[in-house]
Amino acid sequence: MKRFVKENALGLTFGLLFLIVLVGQAFAGLADYNEQQLTEGVQQVSFGRYITSASFAADVAENWQSEYLQFFLFIFLTVWLVQKGSPESKKLEDVGRESERDQKIGPYADESSPKWARARGFKLFLFSNSLGFVMGAIFLVSWLAQFIAGRAAFNEEQLRNLEDPMGPGQYLMAPDFWNRTLQNWQSELLAVASMAILAIYLRQRGSSQSKPVGAAHTATGVES
Amino acid sequence: MLRRILIALLLAGLAGCSSVDERGDAATDVALRLLAAVDSKDGAAACAMLAPETRAEVEESAGQPCDQAILDEDLPALGSVTGADVYGQWAQVRLSDDTLFLAVFPGGWRVVAAGCTSRGDLPYDCSVQGG
Repeated sequence: MKRFVKENALGLTFGLLFLIVLVGQAFAGLADYNEQQLTEGVQQVSFGRYITSASFAADVAENWQSEYLQFFLFIFLTVWLVQKGSPESKKLEDVGRESERDQKIGPYADESSPKWARARGFKLFLFSNSLGFVMGAIFLVSWLAQFIAGRAAFNEEQLRNLEDPMGPGQYLMAPDFWNRTLQNWQSELLAVASMAILAIYLRQRGSSQSKPVGAAHTATGVES
Repeated sequence: MLRRILIALLLAGLAGCSSVDERGDAATDVALRLLAAVDSKDGAAACAMLAPETRAEVEESAGQPCDQAILDEDLPALGSVTGADVYGQWAQVRLSDDTLFLAVFPGGWRVVAAGCTSRGDLPYDCSVQGG
């Protein structure tokens, strides 16, 4: 048990922090939502009702979609794009999908390679891109959830303002949908760009995301 | 296992739809009761269907009790229901000659605005509304 926790500390810690923060968001969101209800004299909602509401779902999904878009883009684009001096980049000469030997696939797979790395055709294609595909799929599902829940939350505002609710087609073109979407995208893209560039010149001793402290600024694709 | 999860999600989705339908029916019922009470000149029953702020506004603008003032408002006659939308704590009920906006209050659905006419992208213009 102790060994399991130690060997999986990164995933477990972030998973636990995620749950704590999500619960915190739910309580803060409920208080915010009910404050508005109170101002208008409208019935306040329970915790259970709030966490199943469109308002909460939209707030959660809009952040999820942008995080998964960030990972999807980062995973796919780093196949072809490199950043000289960055530990987030692979070596400049490794641009592209790399050889079967480098990737330990097909005839170059060894006994420890996953079964699908030894396969051919569609199975190999699927496994070779599975990380990006799954991140991309979660991004699309989260974005769709943001669209559906965001429309419902937006329409509640519309009714509160004595305006007509919007249909899906109208909401797809609505500033609210794109504002929610783009405000999250820009922050994720900035975070990736900062990380890729700052890690050229700055170090974090012992971190897997940093070059060794003494590594040259020009050393690319080196992680401690 | 996956099949059970999918069935559970499907049932939850269907339950959500029926819940929206039920809430739409409840809001529509309150809207119809307001207009029916006005039609039958029962001011007290009509005012009981209004949201607190709307009721106060009706009294304030007319300078008389709600049960008299509401009958003088230019509310359209009771028409047939053409649609209802419910989002969160708010609903819009559309009748052949009127559009009403309702919200959930401690006593249930109450009419926030009635006798509303569309102004395109602007908020509806309503003969009866709160605040």
